[in-house]
Amino acid sequence: MILHPGILALLLGSAITLVMCLQAARLGLEVLAHWDPTRSDERQLMLERKTDLISTLMSYALGFQIVAGLLYLYTLEDLHRLFIGAMCATGTLNANEIGWMVLLLKIVLFFGAAFWVHFNQLDLRTEDTPLMRAKFRTLLALVPLLGLDLYLQVAYFSGLNPEIITSCCGSLFRLGNTGVASDLAGQPPGQTMVVFFSLATVQLVLIGFCLRKRTAIGRYLLFVSTAFFFLATLVAVVSFISPYIYQMPTHHCPFDMLQHHYNYIGYPFYIALFTGVFFGLLPGLSLPGVRIASLRPVIERFEHRWLWISLVAHLIVLLIVLWPILFSPFKLFGGAFG
Amino acid sequence: MYRAHLFAFCLCFMTVLLIALILQGFRQAVDQEVHWEGQRQLVSQLGLTDLALWSEARYTRHISQADLFTPFQNMPGAPDLFPAGSILPPAFSLPQTRVEVVRQESSQ
Amino acid sequence: MTRQWKLLDYALASLLRRKGKNLSILVIYTLTVATLASVLFLTQSLRQEATKVLSGGPDLVVQRLMAGRHELVPLNYADPIRKLPGVKSVQPRVWGYYYDSLKKVNLTLMGLPAEPEILVLLEGERPSKGQEIAVGRGIADTYGFGVGDSLLLIDAAGEKQLYRITGLFETGSDLLTNDLILFPEAELRRFFAMPTNRATDLAVSVYNPREVATLAQKVRYHLPDSRPIGKTEILHTYDTVFHWRSGMLLTVSLAALIAFCILAWDKATGISADERREIGILKAVGWDTTDVLALKFWEGLAVSLVAFLLGTILAWTHTYVFGAGLLAPVIQGWSVLFPDFDLTPSVDLYQLFILGMLTVTPYIACTVIPSWKAAITDPDSVMRS
Repeated sequence: MILHPGILALLLGSAITLVMCLQAARLGLEVLAHWDPTRSDERQLMLERKTDLISTLMSYALGFQIVAGLLYLYTLEDLHRLFIGAMCATGTLNANEIGWMVLLLKIVLFFGAAFWVHFNQLDLRTEDTPLMRAKFRTLLALVPLLGLDLYLQVAYFSGLNPEIITSCCGSLFRLGNTGVASDLAGQPPGQTMVVFFSLATVQLVLIGFCLRKRTAIGRYLLFVSTAFFFLATLVAVVSFISPYIYQMPTHHCPFDMLQHHYNYIGYPFYIALFTGVFFGLLPGLSLPGVRIASLRPVIERFEHRWLWISLVAHLIVLLIVLWPILFSPFKLFGGAFG
Repeated sequence: MYRAHLFAFCLCFMTVLLIALILQGFRQAVDQEVHWEGQRQLVSQLGLTDLALWSEARYTRHISQADLFTPFQNMPGAPDLFPAGSILPPAFSLPQTRVEVVRQESSQ
Repeated sequence: MTRQWKLLDYALASLLRRKGKNLSILVIYTLTVATLASVLFLTQSLRQEATKVLSGGPDLVVQRLMAGRHELVPLNYADPIRKLPGVKSVQPRVWGYYYDSLKKVNLTLMGLPAEPEILVLLEGERPSKGQEIAVGRGIADTYGFGVGDSLLLIDAAGEKQLYRITGLFETGSDLLTNDLILFPEAELRRFFAMPTNRATDLAVSVYNPREVATLAQKVRYHLPDSRPIGKTEILHTYDTVFHWRSGMLLTVSLAALIAFCILAWDKATGISADERREIGILKAVGWDTTDVLALKFWEGLAVSLVAFLLGTILAWTHTYVFGAGLLAPVIQGWSVLFPDFDLTPSVDLYQLFILGMLTVTPYIACTVIPSWKAAITDPDSVMRS
């Protein structure tokens, strides 16, 4: 199965990203070992220059990672035709359980790389780059994950066998089956809706609160609540958002909405979700940084912007979710609810 | 700045051109649907299973009917076709059947 | 914003200042993109053609195996299949191959069942009596004949048989009928000396296409020496065939890609004394290393975008306007009769993503480190030399 253009592109992209990050990590180790801001000799100067290279390498790696994530979903979508019983990307993922792990890893890597690049940029705006050591230690942690990503992709794609009869979203998310996926779908939509919308309200309130007041507690709460909101949204997608988008009570697939058939509505939805979550987590994550004197003004300058972006992204998510519920003739609850 | 704007304009032009080409492709595919329908009909009338792309061998002419099941397989990419096949010379006992054209004038 | 515009402006100026070098990179980059894109577009279009057209084929083809080989099916094999619930009809198919030892051409001979009365996409008449045939366009072009002419073929008994051509398939159906000769079924049986109670295989059509897999199992249960092939399997075959071809070609082109990367690396590393001095002066007048890196980023982006767009447009034109003339031989293999086909474009975002990942990513990865090396040039050392 390796000789598929999409798979070739994915593997090549992952390999290149890995090589770039390995290079960055090697330089990072060097910087970690000899970094000494008090000195101003030749070696320290060279090290400072190397940090520039590292940030460039990592920014590109993040860019590639985002494209690779989309390409991965596209490829799954394209491959499903080869599997008997697969109707969309879910079927391809089910053909070999490693696929789900790759997807999960890609999400983790996306957030990891995005946070890294973001904090790196903040750090570079200060005089004394206080995050230097923390940055390069995290970088060292990202590299094995990238290696794992490449390895798992090879394992997944070479393990795909078109003769396997896979189950698709229809059966995976069918109520009454056992397993995590059908448990998710089996969540009573009413309950999930209540949870989702109350968390969304909490999110909006917390973002508004953080915009008004500069207290640490608000940011911690926002961080925790955003993490829950992300998970709750993923559950909600399977439980009630997709049935509403597809106008079909039994259709629970989280990937179908990326298709032409549904006007690519999945793209704005997922992009807004990821952006909202990313910028919602940022203020909480930068709290330890606020204690550092040189970093504090930089963070305070940007925080407002993060919160606004997060707010707008949340509103877009809510709009996409609410639209079919309010304006389509389809009712999930026989008129009792929607 | 002038150069950058000109460049951006050229890029936009090429992007628009590419998008136009892609959209043209979609439109062509919609137009082609009629022809495809005709060909689909032909396929179902004659019960065809394969494209007439590669007529050099049985297993390339009818790829989907090639045998993947016997010990000595006849199929594209069959593992036992290549190594020995490249060592053995071909045996020239081809069928001596042939096609001759008889023109309308001469036949009537 | 203005700053980035100015950087882009400066980047373009510096690219233009070294016209020869950058133009050679651009040309090779564009050609690399165009080659890979042509491969992708061509195979994607063929795949689309196959899926669209072959979806009209039989739901299930039942072959018989004997002694590990494909064998003629006794017609009474149709009875147990016909009795299975869900089966609409069972149609025996009679077909085979014929070799022309002069032109070294393989032809596919097919028996025409009594139904239907009118064949689509056929110019002329349907062969109905014995000694009448309908022929695909590819054969007619290779041998140079038309409707009304006749063909002399040698039958199983070694006798020469004269067949009058009553119909020619329309040009639009080349992909299906290029090497096809249609006979009345009884005549083809006689020609091949095939027993009247046998057929080459059985084409089964069913009411509900979802039941094909179950029906195939049942057929195998009732007729253990049969081999059922479902329509989905046929379509999968074509899906994978073109992916495989495409992947093969791409893998081969990867060598070219690597060569291109080495070139890009080399060109980016070997910066001239002029360029070095330029960067030195920039730094002396107050540019930062990050500014020079941003400049290099814009240079790379400009080259990549132009090459990508231009290459894709070139590939589109090559594949769909000129019929992929340069690549067709690779797809063609050793076929003597290869159909001319008008490809229908089937390019979407996915192809462009793949293309970007395969070309832009390696280029950028190759130029990062050399650009950085250029960017850290020390103004002091440059000025002094």
